[in-house]
Amino acid sequence: MTASLRKGLESTFKDVEVRGSEDGRLSVLAPKDSIPVILRHLRENGLDHLALLSCVDWQQRGTLEVVYILSAYMQNDTDHTSDQRLHVFLRTHLPRENPELPSAIAVFENAEPYEREIHELFGVHFVGHPRLIPLFLEREYRIPPFRKDFDTRKYAEETFDAIPPVDK
Amino acid sequence: MSADEVGVMTRTSESTDRAGERELELYFGPQHLGMVGNFSITLKVRGDRIVEATANPGYLHRGFEKLMEYRTWMQNVPLVCRVNVVEPDSMEMIYTMGVEKLAGIEVPERAQYIRSICLELAHVGSHLFGLWAYSNMLGFDTPAQWAMYHRDLVLDLFEELTGGRVYHIYLWPGGVRRDFPEGFKDRIVETLHSIGGCVPDYDSTFFNNRLFHQRAHGVAKISQERAKALGATGQVLRATGMRYDIRKVEPYAAYDQVDWEVPTREEGDAYSRVWVIRDEMIESVHMIFKLLDAMPDGEVYNRVPNPFKWEIPPGETYVRCESSRGELGLYMVSDGGDKPYRVHFRTPSYPHGLTILEELLKGASIADVGNTMISLYVVAPEIDR
Repeated sequence: MTASLRKGLESTFKDVEVRGSEDGRLSVLAPKDSIPVILRHLRENGLDHLALLSCVDWQQRGTLEVVYILSAYMQNDTDHTSDQRLHVFLRTHLPRENPELPSAIAVFENAEPYEREIHELFGVHFVGHPRLIPLFLEREYRIPPFRKDFDTRKYAEETFDAIPPVDK
Repeated sequence: MSADEVGVMTRTSESTDRAGERELELYFGPQHLGMVGNFSITLKVRGDRIVEATANPGYLHRGFEKLMEYRTWMQNVPLVCRVNVVEPDSMEMIYTMGVEKLAGIEVPERAQYIRSICLELAHVGSHLFGLWAYSNMLGFDTPAQWAMYHRDLVLDLFEELTGGRVYHIYLWPGGVRRDFPEGFKDRIVETLHSIGGCVPDYDSTFFNNRLFHQRAHGVAKISQERAKALGATGQVLRATGMRYDIRKVEPYAAYDQVDWEVPTREEGDAYSRVWVIRDEMIESVHMIFKLLDAMPDGEVYNRVPNPFKWEIPPGETYVRCESSRGELGLYMVSDGGDKPYRVHFRTPSYPHGLTILEELLKGASIADVGNTMISLYVVAPEIDR
C-alpha cells in the first residue's frame, strides 16, 4: 500500500514532498492550502483513522509545524494485514505570526477537539471550525502556553506574585 | 439513593413549550457521586431528555507535555507514569518505546516478557477498577467492592516487584529496573487463581444479571461506521465487531510469542462493551500464565549512556501500544539534545470522552449519563494530560 500511495500522491499533487522510511512511515510535506484536499485523497485511499493532530514549535526556524498522523482501520470481521502498520505523517509549516489553517473536520470529524487544543496552546487559527473555544485553559494568555517563548516561571511570577499577601 | 442523580441546577432558559417543560442547564460536574475522575459535562435537558451535552475537560490539566521539555530523557521516566492515574504502566511503556525507537536501543528478551507480564497485570488492575466504577454507577455495589479488593491483590504484587502500588517506575529505556524476586512467579499464579476463582460469582451477580441487561442493553449504542468516523479504538470499537488490537496489529514486547484471541461483540451498546471488558480480563489472565511459562532467562536491562549526558539524535517518531482503554500513542520529536523537544500523547480517552460522549448523549435520558460515560471507558486524567 505504501508504494501505491506514494505514486498516487506524487502524481496527483504537484507541490508535495514525499519521503518514506523503512518501518512503514510515509512523510508528506505540503503547503497549508492543499491540506484538506490531500486529507480527502488519503482518506479515500484507505487511511480512515486520524490518530493524532499535533503541532511542533520550531522557534529557531520561525515556523509552527502542524502534523496529521493517519493510519488505517481494518475491515469488519477480517484479520489485520500489513496495511494497518502504515502511518502517514502529513505536515505543513505555518508562520509564527497569525498562523492559519483550514479545518479538517469536514474530512475527519474527530479532529474537532485536537484543533481546539492546538488553537489554545499554540495559537493556530483553524478556519471553519464550529466552536474554536478553549478546551482546557481558563485564563487569557498573551503568548500561547506551549510555545517555546512562553516562560512558565516568569508567567507565574507576573500573574500570581503580583497579588499582594493578605496582611498587606 | 441511586448514584446517578444529577447535581445542581443553575439557570433556566425562557423557552417553555406547550407541555410546560423548560429547558434547564445541569452540571454533571466534577464534584459528583457518580463521576470517576475530575471531569464535567454540561447538559441542556428538557424534561428527562438531554438536548445537548458539552464535555468540559481541563480540571486535570497538569501540562505534562510542557513539563517534559524541561527534563532530561531519564528524568521524564518518573514523571510520565502520572499521566494516566489508573494504569500508569502503559504510559511508562509508551514513553520507553518512543525513546528506544529514537535512540535505537535494543531490549533483552527476558525484559520483553517481563514487560508484557507487567502490562497485562496492569490491564487486569485497570479493568477491575473500571468494573468498580461501572457497577457502582449502576447501583451494583457488591461486585464493585469485590473488584476493588481483587485490584488490591494485584497492587500488592506490584508493591513486591517495584516498591510502589500505583506508580511503579519500573519500565525504563533499556529494559526493566530489576528482575523478579525469588518465588514471585508462584505468587503471581496464586493471586491470579484466587481472582479467577471468583469469576463465577462475578458472572452470577453482575454479568449475567437480568437487571444489568435491562439497564445496559441498547443504551449508548454506536454503529461501527460512526465509531470509525469519530476515531474510536479499544473496547468501543471491538464491541462493534472489529478485531482491532494494537497487540495483534503491530506487536511489541512479547505479544507475538503467545497464542491469544481478541474478544469482540457485535451490538456496539454499553452491554457489549462491558462484556468485551470481562472477556479481555479473562484473556489477560490466561496470557500471563502463558508468558510465565515461556519466559526465558537472561539479562533484564541493557545499559544506556550516562543519563546526565545522554543525547538522542534528531528525529521524530510515533509509537503506539494498547492500553486497557484503547490505542495509546506517543508523538515524540528530538532535536539532538538531552531533553525531548516535543512530546504529544495520543490517549484513547480523548476521542471517546469528548467527541463520542457528546454524540451519544444527544437524546439520551439523564439516568444514562453515567452509564454512557463509564461504559465508554473514559479516564479523565488521560484527556487533559
